[in-house]
Amino acid sequence: MSANANAALLDVRDVSKAFGAVEVLRAVSLEVKRGEVVSVIGPSGSGKTTLLRCVNFLESYDSGSIRIDGREVGYREAATRQRRSERDLAAMRAETGMVFQSFNLFPHLTAAGNIMLGLRKVRGKSDAEARQIAEHWLGRVGLAHKADSLPAELSGGQQQRVGIARAVAMEPKILLLDEITSALDPELVGEVLEVVRRLAEDGMTMLMVTHEMAFARDASSRIVFMADGSVSAAGPPAEILGAEIENERLRNFLARFRASHF
Amino acid sequence: MLGQILYALPFLAEGFALTLWVSLLVVVLSLIAGVLMGVGLVYGPVPLRWAVRIFSDTIRGIPILVLIFFVYYGLPAVGVHLQSFWAAVLALTLFKTAQVVEYLRGAVASIPKGQSEAAMAIGLTFRQRLAYVIFPQAFRRFLPPWINGVTDAVKGSALVSLLGITDLMQAINQVIGRTYEAMPLYIFGALVYFAVNYALSLASRRLERRFSFIRE
Repeated sequence: MSANANAALLDVRDVSKAFGAVEVLRAVSLEVKRGEVVSVIGPSGSGKTTLLRCVNFLESYDSGSIRIDGREVGYREAATRQRRSERDLAAMRAETGMVFQSFNLFPHLTAAGNIMLGLRKVRGKSDAEARQIAEHWLGRVGLAHKADSLPAELSGGQQQRVGIARAVAMEPKILLLDEITSALDPELVGEVLEVVRRLAEDGMTMLMVTHEMAFARDASSRIVFMADGSVSAAGPPAEILGAEIENERLRNFLARFRASHF
Repeated sequence: MLGQILYALPFLAEGFALTLWVSLLVVVLSLIAGVLMGVGLVYGPVPLRWAVRIFSDTIRGIPILVLIFFVYYGLPAVGVHLQSFWAAVLALTLFKTAQVVEYLRGAVASIPKGQSEAAMAIGLTFRQRLAYVIFPQAFRRFLPPWINGVTDAVKGSALVSLLGITDLMQAINQVIGRTYEAMPLYIFGALVYFAVNYALSLASRRLERRFSFIRE
């Protein structure tokens, strides 16, 4: 535990990033406290995914600061912008779990093997220990019987559940979920969201980019609405997705969203 | 006729041993150099990428025979004197290395970016990502062209006979010089080269099956 339990676990301050002339993030700030589930919603191209990828430094950013548990993520100091060493970055990334839209399971390893790789090589667990942890988590996501299956032998929903198990087995401080149901057939979405819901109940800190409004409403402590690279609105679900919305962009976004889903 | 081949067999066998020795040296050295340079080409800093790119493009643009003569007859002009054997090995290795670089680049480039990202996300370092995620997958793509290249190396090793090195080819030529039995001896030589390469391609097929963990 850090000195101050109330301090934000993830603290994003004024982060900006441009791809060439296109500003994808404009002074974005947000906080996630320990045990909170924060959902980021917004139209495509609003910078949601880029923001998420900056949090574990899969993407670098031009200015601002991102701290996890008080430590600057990608740079030795926010001010000097001196990139951390490869070894340092790897150690930092091991503290954040990430689940990808396209699963990104390692196709040459079994379900258990996918989970064991980080446990063995990063956490230094023995083979037997890693296997035990992998089986524990596969059980938690309802795939105990698939431990020795290759990803190609699993359905999309099963693959994504392995992806979640792979991330949480590392016991990260925060879990990043990047549109994890967007590549799934509609009938497989439920089983994946159910796993996330249970993680939330167990107190896992999560930052997720999602298009599942109903899920975001039910599972989130707070919702952040992004538009054009900046945070346009943020607050508890009842406020952001409620009946009376003052923010015009958010109102338009939700209206368009509802129109396309009913 | 058969008697003459039998009589010359120990001599031919020595030549064959040298052919295998040259091939093995070239294959192993070019594999090490090619993989290192290939990694430099894909992941290295820009100056290194350029250096490898220029090396590979230049070498692949030169006929291998020119390369052999250049190393043996050309390098002494700048003070590098190599025995004919090592000159031949060096030239063939350079040639092969440039190919291995390209096989490696192609194989690594075929792995989706998400694989590296997933490996980064669980905290693997660059070397660990290569060793446990990228290379095991790239290996499957690297293998077929590389084995093909190995058979090329065995065949290409016959060129060392041009520097007067007594490999299988040179041994055959010498026996022919003594017996004037060109046809049977060349057929014999062709069969030996074929047998080696056929065995290699069988082994390669078996390996490819062994590593076909992805349905495509």
